[in-house]
Order: sequence, then C-alpha cells, then structure tokens
Amino acid sequence: MLKLSLRGFGARKVRLGLTLLAVALGVALISGTYVLTDTINKSFDNIFATAAKGTDVSVTPKDAVVEGNGADTATTIPAAFLSKVQAVPGVSKAVGTVGTSNVALFTSANKRIGGGGAPTQVISATPKPFDVISYTDGRAPTGDNEVALLASTAKDKHIKVGDDVSIVGNGPRQTLKVVGLGKFGGVSNVGGFVAVIVTLPEAQRLAGVKDAYDEILVAGKPGVTPPELRSQVQSIAPSTVNVRTGQQQADENASDIHDALGFLTTALLAFGGIALFVGAFIIFNTFSITVAQRMREFALLRTLGASRRQVMMQVIFEGLVIGVAGSVIGLLLGVVLAKGLRALFKLFGADLPSQGTIIETRTIVVSLLVGTIVTLLSGLAPAYRATKVPPVAALREGAVLPPGRNARFVTPGGIVLTALGAAGIALGLFGGGSVALVGLGALLVFLGIALLSPKLVPPLASFIGAPMPGIVGRLARENATRQAGRTAVTASALMIGVTLVAFVSIFAQGLKATIDDAVDTAAKPGTLIIENTAGGSPLPAQVAPGIKAAVPGVRTVAPISFSTSKVAGVAGKTSVSGIPANISQVFDTQWKQGNDATFASLGATGAVVTKKFADAQHLKVGSKLSVLTPTGKRLSLTVRGIADDNSGLLADLSVSHDLATTAFGKTGDALIFAGVPPAQEQAVKAQLDAKLKQFYPIAEAKTIQQFKDQQATQINGLLVLIYVLLLLAVVISLFGIVNTLVLSIYERTRELGMLRAIGTSRRQVKRMIRYESIITAVIGAVIGVVLGIVFALAVAQALSSDGFKLSIPIVQLVILLVLGALAGVLAAILPARRAARLNVLEALAYE
Amino acid sequence: MTSADIVSCTDLVRRYGEGEAAVNALAGVTVGFTKGEYAAIMGPSGSGKSTLMHCLAGLDRPTAGSVVVDGVEIASLDDKSLTTLRRDKIGFIFQSFNLLPVLSAEENILLPLSIAGRKPDQEWYDRLVDTIGLRDRLSHRPSQLSGGQQQRVAVARALVSRPAVVFADEPTGNLDSKASAEVLQMLRQAVDDLGQTVIMVTHDHEAADVADRTVVLTDGLIVEDRRTTVAVA
Ligand SMILES: Nc1ncnc2c1ncn2[C@@H]1O[C@H](COP(=O)(O)OP(=O)(O)OP(=O)(O)O)[C@@H](O)[C@H]1O
Ligand SMILES: [Mg+2]
Repeated sequence: MLKLSLRGFGARKVRLGLTLLAVALGVALISGTYVLTDTINKSFDNIFATAAKGTDVSVTPKDAVVEGNGADTATTIPAAFLSKVQAVPGVSKAVGTVGTSNVALFTSANKRIGGGGAPTQVISATPKPFDVISYTDGRAPTGDNEVALLASTAKDKHIKVGDDVSIVGNGPRQTLKVVGLGKFGGVSNVGGFVAVIVTLPEAQRLAGVKDAYDEILVAGKPGVTPPELRSQVQSIAPSTVNVRTGQQQADENASDIHDALGFLTTALLAFGGIALFVGAFIIFNTFSITVAQRMREFALLRTLGASRRQVMMQVIFEGLVIGVAGSVIGLLLGVVLAKGLRALFKLFGADLPSQGTIIETRTIVVSLLVGTIVTLLSGLAPAYRATKVPPVAALREGAVLPPGRNARFVTPGGIVLTALGAAGIALGLFGGGSVALVGLGALLVFLGIALLSPKLVPPLASFIGAPMPGIVGRLARENATRQAGRTAVTASALMIGVTLVAFVSIFAQGLKATIDDAVDTAAKPGTLIIENTAGGSPLPAQVAPGIKAAVPGVRTVAPISFSTSKVAGVAGKTSVSGIPANISQVFDTQWKQGNDATFASLGATGAVVTKKFADAQHLKVGSKLSVLTPTGKRLSLTVRGIADDNSGLLADLSVSHDLATTAFGKTGDALIFAGVPPAQEQAVKAQLDAKLKQFYPIAEAKTIQQFKDQQATQINGLLVLIYVLLLLAVVISLFGIVNTLVLSIYERTRELGMLRAIGTSRRQVKRMIRYESIITAVIGAVIGVVLGIVFALAVAQALSSDGFKLSIPIVQLVILLVLGALAGVLAAILPARRAARLNVLEALAYE
Repeated sequence: MTSADIVSCTDLVRRYGEGEAAVNALAGVTVGFTKGEYAAIMGPSGSGKSTLMHCLAGLDRPTAGSVVVDGVEIASLDDKSLTTLRRDKIGFIFQSFNLLPVLSAEENILLPLSIAGRKPDQEWYDRLVDTIGLRDRLSHRPSQLSGGQQQRVAVARALVSRPAVVFADEPTGNLDSKASAEVLQMLRQAVDDLGQTVIMVTHDHEAADVADRTVVLTDGLIVEDRRTTVAVA
C-alpha cells in the first residue's frame, strides 16, 4: 500500500508541487512571524540586559497610574535622593542618569540624523561599572559640548570622530563635537535606533530636567548580593520610587517591548492563519479532484482485496506526507520570510533591532503541527469519499463518483454556517464581544459561502463569461460550470483574500472620510496644527509660549497635553487631556452639556468628560470625581461639561492645560493649535516654519488640509502593509486556480486532442483555458467584493456611534475586480501552455 | 498518383524509435485517392493503418516521403498551417465518438465551423441532419444519445465543413451490427449523394465491402489494392 502511495506521487508532479506550496506558504508566514518576533525580542532583551550589566540595583520614579516601568514616566527623582543612596552601607557606587528622546540631531551640514520610525535617545554617560557603550573609536564624552554616537549611526551618515553635530532639545540648538564612536554593549544591530551619549549635565539640559534624575544606578560592595542591596536601598526610599535589582529593571524595560511585539505577533499570525485557511481550500480541492480521477485505481485496489480502510489510509497517508513535507518547507521558508518581513517593516518606517536568527522549539512545533493538521483535515473528506468507490467501478469505463450521500446537506449546511457566522460577527460587533468572535464568525461565513457557491457558479459563470466570444467562450463557460463544486472551491479560496482586501479598503476609506469630517467640523479655518515630527512624541513645554513670542501673525496658541489617571470607581486607567482656556478660538467642541466658555472656567477643580465616558460611568454635570495623577497627587474634580467629541482630540477626562502641567508631571504638549487669520494662513505658516526650523526642528506645522493628508498617508501606509500581507493568501489561491486547471486539463486530455484534431489552433486552446481561469477568478473576486462590502457595512454600523462614516471606494473595488481578472490570466499561463502543447495523437489515444 | 488525386502520398515512411529498436510503421507507401471515392484501409493489427491515416490527415509527420492534400504538400507545413488544413480540408470520425459532452448534438455538429468562426450553409446542414436522421435530438447532449446516435452526430460533424476528405478510424469499432450498418450506410450516402471523399480504416470485412476500394497493408507496406466488386445497394 505504502509503495503504491509513493509511486503515485511521481505521476502527479504539478499538483503535488502546487499543493506543497499552498501548505508551505501558509506555514512560512507562521514560522516567519515567530522567527521575526523572537529575534527582535531577543535583541531587545540583549540591549536591556547590556544596559543593566553593571547595575546591581536600579531606582526609578514610580508612576502612580502606570504600573511598573521607569523609562518615560511623568516624574523624576530629586537629586537629593542620590546622596542618600550613596550613603547606604552596601553601596559602592551610585550615579544618576537622565535620558530623553525629545531631541533632534543634525549633521554639520544640517541634515537630520534619525527621525524616522526608530527613536533618537539621549543617554547620559555613566562611569564604570555602569557604562554600556564599548568604544571602538575615541572615548566617552567628558565635557559639555561633547558627544559620542553609535558606530552604526556614524557609518550611515559618514560622521567621524572630530566632526561636529548639532542637537536641539529643551532649549536652543547646540553644537557638539563627536569624541567617540561605540557599540551598545555587544549588540551589533540596533535597527534605526540613534543613541546620543552626552555628559549628565548636558543630558539634563536637553531633557529640561533640573536637580533631578530619571534613574539612579547602584553598584554594591563586594559580597553584597543585588537582592540584599535592593532591600537596603528600599529601606530608605520614599514611596514615590521603585527600587529593583538590575535584572528586574531590565525585565521591566523589556516587558513593554514584549507586549508590543506580542501584539505584532498576534496580528502577523492572523495573516498566517488566513493564508493557511486559503491553503486548506486548495488542499481539499486537489485531494477531491485526485480522488475522483483515481477512482479506477481505488476500485482496482478494492477488487484486489483492499479494504475500505486501506483505501482511506492510502489517501490519508498522502495527506500526511504532503502535510509534513509542506510544513518543513514552510518552516524553512519562514526563516527567509522573517528577513523579508523585517525589510518590509523597515520600508514602512519601523527599523527594528535584530541580531541573528532565533528559531525556538515552539516555532518548529507549531509550524509542523499546524501545517500537518490543516492538510490532514482538508484531505479527510476526499479520503472518505475514496472509500465510497465500489469495486465494480474498475470494470466500468468513465464511471463517475457517486454524488456522496451528504451532497444534499451541502446547501443547507452552507446556509446554517453562513447564518452562524453572521451571528458570531454580530455578537462580536454589537454584543460587546471580541475581535476573536468576529474572526471566527468571518471564518464560518467563508465556509458557508464556499458551500453555497456551487449554486452561484453557473449564473455567475454565464454572466462573467458572456462577453467572451465564439465557441471558445462558450466552451470556457461550460467547462467552468461542468464541475461547479470544483470551480466553487477554487473561486472561494480567492474570495477570501478579495473579501479581506475589499473590506480593508472600504474600512480605510471610511476611516479617512471620518477623520476628514471630524477635523473639518472641529478645526476652525486658519488653524495650524503643530506636532512632533516623530509622530506620537510630545513637544517640550516651552514650544507653545515660544511660538507666540516669535511669530506675531499667530493670534492664538492652544497647546494640548495628554496624560493618564486613575479615577476612583472606574476600572483601569482613564485618559486625560489638558485643554487650554482659549481652545474655542481654534476648535469647535460639540457640546452635549456646556458651552465654549466651559473650558475657560475649569480652573483647578473643573473637568469635562466625553459623552461616552459620562454614559458609561453615569456622570452628570456636577458629579464629583476623585482623580489620582501619575505623580501621586489626588485631585477632586467636578464635571462642568459633557462633550460629544468625534475628533478624538478630547480624552475621556479633560482638565485645564494648567492643571495638567502642574499636577500630572512632565506631560509636554501632544500638539499645539496655532490660530492665524485665514487670509494670511500661508504667509504666517511660512514664518512659523522658519522659526520652528531654527528653534524647534522636532516640531512641524501643518495646515488642516496637510494634517488630513498626513492622516490619510498614514492610513494608506498601513493599508499597503496589510495588502502585502494578504498578498500571500491571494497568491496561494492563484496556485489553487492553476492546480484546478491543470487537473481539469488532465481529465479532458482526450477532448483537447479531438479539438486539436478537428482544427482548433493552439491559440484557441490557450484562450479557452484562459477564459475558464478568468471566469473562476472573477467569480471569486465578485463574491469577495460583495462579501467585503457586507462586512464593511456591519462594522460601519457597529462604529456609527463613534461617528464612523462609511464611504465605498467604487473605483478601487472595480480595480479589484479587474485585478481578479488579471489574476485569472496569470494563473492560466502554465495550464494553457500545457494544454496547447499536448501531442494530438497521444491525447487522442489517452484514456 | 495522378493530379486528380485529392489525397496522395509517395514513398511514405514513418519510423518509430531509434537504431536497433526502430520500427517502420510505414515502410514506403505510395497511394492516391480520388475525389468522390469511398476507400477502406485494411490489414492486420499493427500493420500501420492508423499511422497511414494520421500521416495523410496531417496529425502525424512522416519520417520521409511526401503527402499532398488537395494540391498542397503538407509534409513541410508548420503546426499552424496543419491545424488550418485539418480545420478546413479534413473531417475526422474516431472510434470512440469523441463528442464534447458540454455541447448539444447540434453544437457538436457545428463545432468545426464554430472553431473557424464561420456560419453554416443552412441547406447543407439540413441535408446532413436529414441524412443522420436526428433532427428531433439536436438539442440533446451526447450523454443522452446512444452510441450509434453519437457516432452519427460525429459523422455529421466530419462532413459539416464540406471537407476535401473524411478520415474514419474504425468508426464502427464500438458499435453493434445494426448501428454499424447505419453508420456505414451514412458514409456511403455521403459519397454517393453528397459527393464527399471517405477514407476509412477498418477490421470489418463487411464494412470494407460497402467501400469502392480496399487497400490492404501488411507490415507498413501495401500488399493489395482492389476495387470492391460487390457494392451494397
Ligand atoms: N507512438 C508509437 N511509438 C512507437 N511505436 C508505435 C507508435 N505508434 C504505433 N507504433 C507502432 O507502429 C506500428 C503500426 O501501428 P498502427 O497503430 O498504425 O497500427 P494499426 O494498423 O492501426 O493497428 P490496429 O489495427 O491495432 O489499430 C505498430 O507496430 C505499432 O507498435
Ligand atoms: Mg489502429
């Protein structure tokens, strides 16, 4: 039996190759994801471990709201605490450090260094044993106006020791002399990360920190273990700081990265899952067709005395071999793909550190298991059908497989699955359920539609094929429908990818429209928006007053800051925005209760909440809130207004900008609105640009239109990334079309021989196959686009309370259909060539 | 071989394989068929009948020698020209009926014209349909027709483009005697009433008796070429 299975493989090279690839590509995305994120994780662990190498104990400010973590907390440690630490008996050495990423670095030719996706981080130089930089050239900075850089940065920008660079942080631009180049511990690849190593006073100046530190590093005397030292330091520490061992602190620092990467892993795995799901359709179809074609072989085996079980085992064994082989290939491909993914992320501005290639056991186990199980599962139904072949079929020529006893359940099953899936999606979207539920629902809908689509194939095929002329077109339509189930499964595989692409395009279009709409209703004409060029980072507090002073054309300067808080009685953290009194001059708040004067009257005790937050927490104007700030202050606030904000500017809880500055620690300004007379917008913006460039190069002014365009650009970037990741699923479904065509051609060898014999040209044969392929592909694309629209409608409905505006990009959807047709053309190339090359006489003799 | 021949070959050799194992399926055949002739090719199994037919029909390429169809030397034609030749000048009837299952009987009959993108000559088509006697079955698919009926459709298909010559390789091989007789009779009619030329490979002496002429092959050579004396009415 076994030998027979193996011999079967050789005779079916193409279908074997394509099926293997279908398995392998899905598995590759899974293993690639793991390899990529494990490698990045490990690299970060290395970086943090290196950073903590000489540190036995680390003291960081405690953020009262955000648990753990010391990196970018709202507070600092007063300098006085350092001398107390130094006085602890077990301490041999203790130093304070300050860092900030709120800087911009330039070459002597005034070219920006860094500034892309990866951060520029100021690090204060530390003496041994805390020093983390190993210098390959020059030395550490010892005086003001000296700087050391990473060798990788220097190489990128052709900077040598002795060159000048300039830096702008908190305060005016400064010129620094490069005195050293080094490596960050033993880590060779830190991605696009730019480290700026300066003396402590310089770092404090750049960070705008006086007499305070971000972290105190402590080394113990010989014989004092880190835990012992930790408890010694802890005993003198105030409640506003965390005291951890070096190792604990490194783990703490890495945990944020792990969380972020965990999200990335899940997202990427989802794409791998989609690809495998599509692959399952291909495997199922290939096995089904193969079983049908090998009926006589099975029947012969049966007449020779093989039991049903043996026949089934033979098919299952094939599935097992393909599953394992495909998974192994996929696993290996994944290692290559991980590099590709990293390059992709770099292309989209995320230059992540990665060193070596980490292949965990988990990667191997999951990849092999998932690939093999999916293959086996998809081959199960066809294997079962193979056992239905009666032994007499061997004697009958041209016998067809009995239409399975379960055939009549296909359509009702499809309806039930689709309904169940729709219910799952509805529950996930509207019932406060989860993303996972929506995903599962979508999966069921895909399966349901796949089961229903044999019914859709004939009408769709005759509609799509209608413009295909002549007998060639007629035959293509007929061939596409003669095995409607087979065409349906093939098209369904493509449908999945197209649905997701269509959905994502519609959703993104809606998102852009929603943002445009929100910005247009909220921002008053003549408002400029000033943000950090490294999106997401705040601007130093002195920028806003600086603008007002430097650019006379600016009438209003309204800085907005963000922070977090814990509100008594509210689970989790509550986001806070600091809103200035003059906000109404640049921004229209949609009030549920209150008016434009409300923000001006908040003072130190008033707050505005969003309608959503108010509804969820049953707040009314006059309600009292007890709010804990990151610095540990407890505020008692009274709700003065309720805003119905769709622009996303207002956090759940808004306080006056002054209160945010005084009570919430170092907030900085997330953005600054500058109100200018609309008629002079361009002129004032030019002045503003010039000043910003000179004094605050990390800040950048945008008109409302530019801001909207930038948002659109960001969404488009993400969109492209998603498209690229979905491309794999689409490619796999194209293999499916190729596979089905090749197998169908093989079945129709004699027909093709006859057609050629009576004068059908090679070109006509090719055209016939191409048409059939286009019909199949466009069926998938049409169902996919429709389904994508339906999904988008559902999601839009769920988000309508958040102001989501649905906007269907007709042109893009039409392009998608055209691309579907092109995909059909592409998939047909190989099968059409094979069909046209058939030797007429051999084909005629073929049986 | 006269210039009046519609199909002819001279010193036709078709060799399979190389060196020691080489087989001369045709070892130098010279024969010609005139327009309006109904010829049977006979001979033992493996004697080269099908090979001869394939070479004459432009389906196979001779190793040596020449083949002329309707005044055109086809040995040197490329695939494209051969395809056009088969489409316009030659009709085929195969042993297994080889109809397209997805097309109706009518569409199968018209297939050669559809491929050429030509309109049928309605009068000719009507005569063919009457000849095969399947007017009421034209909309049926092949699977709804009996073997004999399918072969009659195949005969009509071979004749629909008024080819210079119709080749039939054991057209009755899969039929019972009654259906065989009907098909043979139809080919006879095609020659007598419609003026067609038919060359038919057969094992069946009764089938050969319907023809005007019998060419007998043995080991790739013509060993007998005679006029049939008794023609069936
Ligand atoms: N493709 C091929 N490769 C090698 N030898 C072949 C090939 N086709 C035919 N032959 C050989 O050529 C010879 C003639 O074959 P052909 O098919 O013409 O015989 P035939 O007279 O039609 O026989 P039958 O009555 O059995 O159909 C045979 O010896 C056969 O084995
Ligand atoms: Mg033969």
